Amino acid sequence: MTAAILCQNLAKDFRHMHKEPGLSGSIKSFFVRNYERKPAVRDFELVIEPGEIVGLLGPNGAGKTTLMKMFTGIIVPSSGRLEVLGHVPHQREMAFRRKIALVMGQKSQLWWDIPAMDSFLLLQKYYEIPDTDFKRRLGTLTDLLDVDRLLKVHVRKLSLGERMKMELMASLLHQPEVVFLDEPTIGLDLVAQKNIRDFILAWQRDHRTTVILTSHYMADVDALCKRIVLVLAGGKRFDGPIREFESVLGKQKFVSVDFEGPVDRQLALWQGLDASWNEDSTHVELRIPEDQLRSTAAAILQQLPVTSLSMEKLPIERVMNELLVKPQLLADPQL
Amino acid sequence: MKTLKRYGAIYREFVNNCFAAALTYRLHFILLIVMDLIFYFTILGSVEFLFQHLDKIGPWGRTEFMFFMSFMIAVEHLHMTFISENFWEFSYDIRTGRLDFILLKPVGALFIIFFRSMRPGTLLNGFFPWAYLIYFGSQLHLNALQWLALPLLVLLGLALLTSVEILISMSMFWIVESMGVNFFRMQLQQVARWPDFVYQYFAQKFFSYLVPVLLVGSAPVSFLITGDWTGLSKMLGLLVICWGLIGFFWRKGLASYESASS
Repeated sequence: MTAAILCQNLAKDFRHMHKEPGLSGSIKSFFVRNYERKPAVRDFELVIEPGEIVGLLGPNGAGKTTLMKMFTGIIVPSSGRLEVLGHVPHQREMAFRRKIALVMGQKSQLWWDIPAMDSFLLLQKYYEIPDTDFKRRLGTLTDLLDVDRLLKVHVRKLSLGERMKMELMASLLHQPEVVFLDEPTIGLDLVAQKNIRDFILAWQRDHRTTVILTSHYMADVDALCKRIVLVLAGGKRFDGPIREFESVLGKQKFVSVDFEGPVDRQLALWQGLDASWNEDSTHVELRIPEDQLRSTAAAILQQLPVTSLSMEKLPIERVMNELLVKPQLLADPQL
Repeated sequence: MKTLKRYGAIYREFVNNCFAAALTYRLHFILLIVMDLIFYFTILGSVEFLFQHLDKIGPWGRTEFMFFMSFMIAVEHLHMTFISENFWEFSYDIRTGRLDFILLKPVGALFIIFFRSMRPGTLLNGFFPWAYLIYFGSQLHLNALQWLALPLLVLLGLALLTSVEILISMSMFWIVESMGVNFFRMQLQQVARWPDFVYQYFAQKFFSYLVPVLLVGSAPVSFLITGDWTGLSKMLGLLVICWGLIGFFWRKGLASYESASS
């Protein structure tokens, strides 16, 4: 079976201009340009099978969006091999364009000054969707996203969450085989985020669509992705099941403790547990290795006025934060 | 045939959407109509004024000159209605990365970029340029064949003007901030608004061969008045060259397109 996405030694460089601050810098740069080539993606290897939902994670500027734009054929790689559904994306064959869709949380493909329904009718013509299929798909998407009353409202009058639902509809009407979601929940409130996540899960389950997701909200990744790829400084630093990612810092539990009153932060007990305190020292969050969990929890309960103690697996968000601060923790670049 | 039908259906949706968007802002819609009318009347009025003090400009008297101006207004009317807006949008598309979505659609991207926006208000003004053209054409005693050729020649002029502008707009891939390119285009329209004999030798050659906007009106009107085919054959040849170059620079532009950050 053809891989949904296959890339080998993929790289992309961008050229940036450097300008000294101030008027003299502006005048100087008008005559003499100081350019620097910066690798945005380098030596990237990835295979994604059809039907997978994969999360691309990484801080701002890591290269996630550049990868998405190369996968969709919007920009041309500097070097390396890239195939999506057996096509070379930047050759932009019509057959390829019919099979993919891209949703960008910060950009809109809908016409701003008309209702979304008018944009959908245009998309029907772009993708040559027969009337009966179009009506059926529109009905399904409208029901799933509960947007019946919004179809005839001007896009510029929709809330961010409502607009994002319309963007998703616009991207799925032609039933793409691969959907690229770049920050689809950015700026949305918690309820809207959950609605979007639930919809994506339901859609993917029904259609077995391959989904590539980037998001800064770990809740999105946690809810949607079985596999994640961590991108740091343009390179792949982790590629595997999300459950493995959670233990990339070692097998640890996340423990949250509340106390009756303030406790001493300097106790030897807290050493090596990455303690994170509230302001009045009545609440602490700890990362405890699984083999020390029983003894450490017992010590806390015995020595301190504990009112509540809860433990859970290490949240992905915390793993991510730790890795962003200390990327050297991922010793093996091809982990 | 199937492709033509498909693109026709897409264009119909473009028109529907543009009408829907334009009619949303009623006062803006009416203002554009008034503005276009003022533009037509000032152009024709200024030439009329000149001929109150002169008998001839170059080889042409008032009727020939006013016929030329009406011809150019008819070309510009179609240009303003169906094309002009898209050049400004293309610049915005590149700066903001909105071009990304256009590139993903399974339709010729150049078609979407340069034909998706139109100005419905300007379309409604179509009566005036064509009324002037017919009025001055009848004063020139055009024969039946010339009347039949007239709309085709207006379309040929529009095709050349648009092609030259699209070719120039390819530079937006590298320039990015494209207000300068758009103002350059508008200045070229200004150049084309006068017959070629108004210009000195070097300017005439430059704007007839290198940036051939002088042919837009001068070649078809000369053909109608004198029956000279040379200008028309130059137009057809330059159209082919223009589209060859557009194809070349389009591919180069896409290869260097970096898209705006999200």
